Amino acid sequence: MSLIKYLIRRSLYLIPVFLGITLLVFSIERLAGDPVQIATFGNTHITEDQRQRIRQYYGLDKPVYLQYLHWLSELLVLNLGDSFGGGSVSNLVGQGILATLELQLLGLFLSLVIAIPIGIYSAKRRYSVLDVTLSSSALVGTSIPISFMGIAFILIFGYYLNLFPSGGAQSTIQSQYLYGNVILDQLWHLTLPTLVYTFAILAPVVLLVRSSMLEVLRQDYILAARASGLGDRAILYKHALRNALIPIVTYVGLYFGGLLAGAPVTETVFNWPGVGALFVVKTNVLDFPVIQGVVVLITLMTLVANLVTDLTYAYIDPRIRID
Amino acid sequence: MASLSSRPRKRRVSGVSQWELAWRRLKMNKAALAGLVIVGVIGVMALLDQLIALYPPNCNVGTTPNCPNPGPKPDVWAIGIPPSWSFPFGTNLAGQDVYSQIVYGARAAFLVGIGATAIALAIATLIGLVAGYFGGWVDNVLMRLTEVVLVLPFFLILLVFLRILFTLSPGASGGLLVIILVIGAFSWPGPARIIRGEVLRVREFEYVAASRQIGASGFRILFRHLFPNTLHIIIVLSTLQIAGSILTEAAVSFLGFGDPNSITWGRQLADASEAVKQAWWAGLAPGIFITLLVMGFNLLGNGLRDALDPRLRE
Amino acid sequence: MAETLLRVEGLRTYFYTWAGVVKAVDGVSLHVNKGETLGIVGESGSGKTVTALSIMRIVPAPGKIIEGKIEFQRKNLLAESDEEMRKLRGREIGYIFQDPTSTLDPVYTVGEQLSEVLVRHQNLDKKSAMDRAVELLRIVEIPDPEIRINQYPHQLSGGTKQRIAIARAICCSPSLLLADEPTTALDVTIQAQILETLKGLKDRFNMSMVLITHDMGIVAETCDRVVILYAGQVYETGTTEQVFENPKHPYTEALLTSVPHLALKRERLSVIQGNIPNLIEPPSGCRFHPRCKYAQQICIDKVPELEPMEEGHLAACHFARELKLKSPVTS
Repeated sequence: MSLIKYLIRRSLYLIPVFLGITLLVFSIERLAGDPVQIATFGNTHITEDQRQRIRQYYGLDKPVYLQYLHWLSELLVLNLGDSFGGGSVSNLVGQGILATLELQLLGLFLSLVIAIPIGIYSAKRRYSVLDVTLSSSALVGTSIPISFMGIAFILIFGYYLNLFPSGGAQSTIQSQYLYGNVILDQLWHLTLPTLVYTFAILAPVVLLVRSSMLEVLRQDYILAARASGLGDRAILYKHALRNALIPIVTYVGLYFGGLLAGAPVTETVFNWPGVGALFVVKTNVLDFPVIQGVVVLITLMTLVANLVTDLTYAYIDPRIRID
Repeated sequence: MASLSSRPRKRRVSGVSQWELAWRRLKMNKAALAGLVIVGVIGVMALLDQLIALYPPNCNVGTTPNCPNPGPKPDVWAIGIPPSWSFPFGTNLAGQDVYSQIVYGARAAFLVGIGATAIALAIATLIGLVAGYFGGWVDNVLMRLTEVVLVLPFFLILLVFLRILFTLSPGASGGLLVIILVIGAFSWPGPARIIRGEVLRVREFEYVAASRQIGASGFRILFRHLFPNTLHIIIVLSTLQIAGSILTEAAVSFLGFGDPNSITWGRQLADASEAVKQAWWAGLAPGIFITLLVMGFNLLGNGLRDALDPRLRE
Repeated sequence: MAETLLRVEGLRTYFYTWAGVVKAVDGVSLHVNKGETLGIVGESGSGKTVTALSIMRIVPAPGKIIEGKIEFQRKNLLAESDEEMRKLRGREIGYIFQDPTSTLDPVYTVGEQLSEVLVRHQNLDKKSAMDRAVELLRIVEIPDPEIRINQYPHQLSGGTKQRIAIARAICCSPSLLLADEPTTALDVTIQAQILETLKGLKDRFNMSMVLITHDMGIVAETCDRVVILYAGQVYETGTTEQVFENPKHPYTEALLTSVPHLALKRERLSVIQGNIPNLIEPPSGCRFHPRCKYAQQICIDKVPELEPMEEGHLAACHFARELKLKSPVTS
């Protein structure tokens, strides 16, 4: 009951934040000047008259606040307008977002499943050989640029060992499908980017779980649980882990937003047809409608991720739920 | 009964400052020292760049045989040579000595890392101090603003800014500066929240309450009492932010949005990645150096956190 | 003579920190008879808590029991298996911590935390464990136990939380209760009530109790015998009467004269000068000598032995027989 109330309160609270962000995104784009002027800058084949017609077509000749309101109202019905390069932005972004989420969620899921037990083990056997090895590898992992890791993986597993395709989401010709099966082929393409993603997310989560568990394990209620004769498993998994999860959930929620924003790099490395790669291509030609669409979409998804975080947080920690 | 004239125990506790104690703790932390050494060595590399590089910046060792730097005699055809005595890290497909380019890139890495961090932490400190100290509606407004900026995908916005800049003025020299400014302008929310939290904690200390009661002005309390007491957190956050900024620059450059006029490791990695099958070593060196420097700052930051925050110490 | 329930001999528990080895407990011997309350008194850092944690064998890392003997119900606890110890903790020996706010897990309800101990030790199913938990809350005199049982620690007052911690410690009616400064973190008004509850429970369940405190006033009201700890060592022990009426160690004297409601009006309330010593490199000889107003050269050179003064009354001071120490109780 109180959880639902909490959900509603948090969701209502997100509305002004979202509006603020749309306003900010919109004005950042306009700050630089007239989008048509910028996008066609240096193009000698275009006349001022043609520019004016483009402005009229995209509604860019109207006052800025009207442009914003129009864009916002269209956004509510999921219409993101037309791309400068032709085609509906909603379609372009809609196609990409599934590919992006596929990779992101899979990577996030796998890394959590792997990182949490490793972090717990490391905290439990602090300073053991395995702990030192694992946590220093994790530290190296957090310091590697994801592009470098991606290229290295492609070079080793794709090029030299020839185990996986080095890019794309699917073979272009049907005859190249892995075992002639389209699903297997897609999984085959998914492996390498997922691996890199998983490793990239894994490392900081391992360190976080470890430090969070260490922090919790020295709390008095753990000592008190031991003094009550509870077994190691009950103490570790029932008491310590649940408390340690509180900062982990917060971090992973925030981190997910960062990951989405980092999608351009991974998707470019692996030539993955997601919104990140789309964004890079369209930003290069300053296709403002697409740029705005992607930024707003990623922001929205970040907000949703934050909401899920808050809910998980409230579920775990009664101090948030009941006040 | 005669009492003892000379007490045998030395009592030298109050003479040691907090910072000295922290330094002692840091010295005992091997990982932190390793971080300090990595950062130090690369820092010296950045300072001495002309002196220790073998070739001038962007010098094509194959087609510019009379490079003014006295280096080993290059082969005439020097494109994509694997690592050798003449070219410790090999040459890239543009015929440049990778080692020399790495040396020049060190300066950009420090510039981006320290520049962006200085901006981010200055904003974060100001907002954190003001929000935490004044509380009430000031805190409310500032924290809502913080949340909005925190949700913004700043990396995407950075890319847009850079593309607009380079479209309007191709060959603009301020590319690196824009990267620094934008990273700085968007990286403060996380640190600001942490600093605010610390201010809330310190604010309750008795001496702060006391100075408030004797009528010290708000800003005096802010900068005389609260700022010094949050300094340790600011230092830790700075080292971690430097690491993050360097990684961001690498990502920006990798996507081809970097400053074409600066030699950065990120751009070297990006250039090399296009021909990784012909000359993998051209990408290996910048990749390793980015990792090393970022790791150095991370190690240092973690070590400083343990050394400066006695609450986390055992 | 009374039957001995717990006997600790020559206990040493050291902490291996990177600043050095902290000798938190350095050769402590004590015993608890059946049905009695033993007070362990000392300043913070004197090794009271570590002694109690050592008895339970739950000294947190980097602490380690180095040597000694802990005999409980004729069993040598230091030789028991981990599994045997787990069965003992919470069932035969209950432990109450100082700060109830930090010793209850914030994310579980009162009922969950009580019943898990009951389920573990008494093979109850969840339902009957919950019923028993409600009953326990009633025993420790918490009003509205049916409501409290489903609440989380942060919804409760400090006194109520400490009563819940007590309920958890006595839920399996242990024969020994270790109470580590059970009232220090609480309001003065609640302290007395909690102490009363503890005394009542001790009689009701026929327990022995070790009461750790720094407050000689509480010792006077509650304990049958007392052990004075200083810098990880026993400096004086005896019945409460012996120690209070005829203290034999200057440190005991200092402790007694620093208690407000024990000191008589004409006596100046004294403060013990100096700090508890560094336990990595403790002072030579008698560890109290840097703070002792009677200290002589021999106190720096020679470690005093714990010697009997009268039946059951021991003190570790070179001048225990010569000094005429003041006691606010007799003077």
